[in-house]
Amino acid sequence: MKKHKEGLYAREYALMLVLLLTAAALSICLGSVNLPLSDTLKSIFALITGGDVSDLGTAPAILSTRLPRAACVALTGAALSLSGAAMQGLLKNPLADGSTLGVSSGASLGAVAAIAFGLSVTSLPFAGTVVAAMVFAFASLLIILFLSYKLDCSLSTHTIILVGVIFSMFASSIISLLITFASGRIKQITFWTMGSLAGSSYENALLLLGAFLVFGGMIFFTARELNAFAVGEDNARTIGVNVKRVKLTVLICVSALIGVCVSIGGTIGFVGLVTPHIMRMITGPNHKRLLPASAMGGATFLLLSDLAARTLLSPLELPIGVVTSLVGAVVFVFVFYRSRRMG
Amino acid sequence: MLKANDLTVRYGALTVLDGVDFSVSPGQWLMILGPNGAGKSTIVNAVSQGVPYGGTISFNGTDIRRIKPTERAKCFGVLTQNHFVGYSFTVGEIVHLGRYAYRDRLFTAGTDDEAAVASALDATGMTPFRDKSVLTLSGGELQRAFLAQLFAQNPKLLILDEPTNHLDLVYQRQVFDLIGEWLSEPDRSVISVVHDLSLAKAYGTHALLLNGGNAVAFGTVDEVLTRERLHEVYSMDVFGWMNKMLGVWQEETE
Amino acid sequence: MKNTKTLSLLLAVLMLLCLLPACGEMSSPSSIVDMEGRSIELDKPAERVIALSAADCDIIYALGAMELLVGRGEYCDYPPEVLDIPAVQSGAQTNIEQIIALEPDVLFMSSMAQSEEQVAALENAGITTVVSDADNIEEVYTSIKLIGAVLGRDAEAEALVSSMKGQLDELRLLSAGDGTETVYFEVSPLEWGLWTAGSDTFMNEVAELLGLKNIFADLEGWAEVSQEQVIERNPDYIVTITMYFDGGELPEEEILSRAGWENITAVKNRAVLRMQNNELSRPSQRLVEGARMLYDFVYETAQTDKAA
Repeated sequence: MKKHKEGLYAREYALMLVLLLTAAALSICLGSVNLPLSDTLKSIFALITGGDVSDLGTAPAILSTRLPRAACVALTGAALSLSGAAMQGLLKNPLADGSTLGVSSGASLGAVAAIAFGLSVTSLPFAGTVVAAMVFAFASLLIILFLSYKLDCSLSTHTIILVGVIFSMFASSIISLLITFASGRIKQITFWTMGSLAGSSYENALLLLGAFLVFGGMIFFTARELNAFAVGEDNARTIGVNVKRVKLTVLICVSALIGVCVSIGGTIGFVGLVTPHIMRMITGPNHKRLLPASAMGGATFLLLSDLAARTLLSPLELPIGVVTSLVGAVVFVFVFYRSRRMG
Repeated sequence: MLKANDLTVRYGALTVLDGVDFSVSPGQWLMILGPNGAGKSTIVNAVSQGVPYGGTISFNGTDIRRIKPTERAKCFGVLTQNHFVGYSFTVGEIVHLGRYAYRDRLFTAGTDDEAAVASALDATGMTPFRDKSVLTLSGGELQRAFLAQLFAQNPKLLILDEPTNHLDLVYQRQVFDLIGEWLSEPDRSVISVVHDLSLAKAYGTHALLLNGGNAVAFGTVDEVLTRERLHEVYSMDVFGWMNKMLGVWQEETE
Repeated sequence: MKNTKTLSLLLAVLMLLCLLPACGEMSSPSSIVDMEGRSIELDKPAERVIALSAADCDIIYALGAMELLVGRGEYCDYPPEVLDIPAVQSGAQTNIEQIIALEPDVLFMSSMAQSEEQVAALENAGITTVVSDADNIEEVYTSIKLIGAVLGRDAEAEALVSSMKGQLDELRLLSAGDGTETVYFEVSPLEWGLWTAGSDTFMNEVAELLGLKNIFADLEGWAEVSQEQVIERNPDYIVTITMYFDGGELPEEEILSRAGWENITAVKNRAVLRMQNNELSRPSQRLVEGARMLYDFVYETAQTDKAA
């Protein structure tokens, strides 16, 4: 009998890793300023070894902005996509993603409030919007879970989606209200909501990495439970999954990831929705394969989107959310059309 | 094996189950019967912890609410009537999920997992479908795939909620025969919700007759399914009608 | 059809009437054309006006006509006393009913802000709308003269324009720059993506006037740019108009501490100027203040800093 292996095959991992590394390398080498490859390599070498960079012109300085940005972009893409895959499985709903829960709206509200009221935290390496967005993301999660629990103590999927959608609308209307009153800062608020990873620092990348390792890691450990949820919540219960605990774990992890991503890069649409779909066509719905594939695919997709955002209209820079939504929507339609035709 | 005491389920002001008692012992096949809205499926939902309930349900003397979900899955498994799978899992993957309770979180499957899955597929005749997507299966094949999952889960008690609803006769017979065969092993029991009284009489050992959320009768099939009682519960002469139906067939065969 | 005829007849009569010396209290009313090319019909100088754009408020103040202002736009903030005048906007919403209730003769607005329906509603209420949008310094002069004409303050407007011209000329002559020194204008900080002012902006025009080259003069209007472009283009001076949040890091300090920016000439020389009050983005006489601030910074403060 054929031996059935559940995880990704080594060659699949290798292929995805090569794609990811290629995208990362392109992101670092290409940009609105074209650096000679030799200077790029020498600068990276010098940055690592602390060697002399005086004869390399602006290359080291430019790389010191590109490297943390590439790291943040890759981690954000991986986190958003992983969250999307987990939510699509948990809620057995292919239209779900990390924002379905309403936490990203909550995080946006936090950031907008921080801009509107001029909140700022000097003692922290992260700006006020980041801290406010994370606090609000967490508060939103508590509110959403509390309301869902009050409505329906079994925390059913429908209740969670409903409360999430209502909460998102509520948060959006508060954002509109804030914009009305903080009219002098409309410009800043608009800039923020379009999403930007331009100011990424190594601190941001570390924060993202930490969140990804802790919360993303926990999501990876729920792959089998997510399979059960994707088949059906009743089925999950009957085969012995602790339905409520797994649901809470996944929702909390997704919220934390989304909160950190939104606070650092603003709202970046479509990555969390589209990448898991495309990956599912390649790997099948088994989360043991889908989750790692989505994380790597999401990182690759966002790296390439960011590269496009930086280079297409250089020296102009496009908001990354615009690129992902444009590319994502087109790819989504194409993929959907093809899969329908093939049956 | 499973014992329910004063089982009560309320949805708001509506009482769906009102103080129902029943039990099932090894070797028994308990049929839960009654007209639509009697509370049959609610019993299954309560036992599988899908709805909050009053009263107690115990398995071998332990309140099932105190049993860990994975241990509970080793005690009893539930087969529901409708399966809508949103994603294209293979039959093999669905059956593998049945082994969830036996797996360590950190380590991958042991060989007994593979063996259990293979024999469950074999028993249900689903081996040729192992790598097929569940989205391509017919209703009967899908039901057998989930029955295979339940066999792989290997609980002591099977709880089936109208397992052959919407299935044609061939599949009905296949599924009931499979379950009968499974029950012939020692220390096993079955509870199933059925509509069809003939199926209950043919396969069941015991019966629980419900009406409007109350237990009308509980005992062996012959004790429970009397002409008068069925007439009362279904407001029609069930026996007379059944006999008439059978008569139609006898005329045909002659 | 009949209506049109009556209307044209009425117009003809009106035009004839205007030719008569009796109605000629204003210098030559039919010559008032607003910045969108629409002719403005007024039989006497406006006595109650509302200005929606902050620049128009500035200009009305400079023409000494603050007492005519009965309503203002949300962003009008100069001089501080203007805040006592009722605002007729909240955020992006303009309250047409409130404008009508204030019974102004004239409403000054910028072309983009109001919908055609809103303008029609105002005109129906007997309020004359005047578009006063300036895109460059020359147009600011036109705008000042337009507002002066509507308010019957032509002389004051002429004086204001020639004073502006004089001061800007003086700054131009004083500026030693020959277009080799470069400046980068930062509109939005790194945290939300860098936005800058390209050509066709007042910042660019003032920079050129002072003999400086805007590093993003190749872009048009407002644009989001990447950090690496700033590093590559290596400006000699940086001007930020980013808002300062109380208790937060000063925007100029934040710029000086950015990773990868250490070797930019402006950062090395600490030549970063923060302009808080829109002096370089508002099309009014206050551009002169902005130009002077930039001049002082480039040719005095920064030079002393460099020497030090």
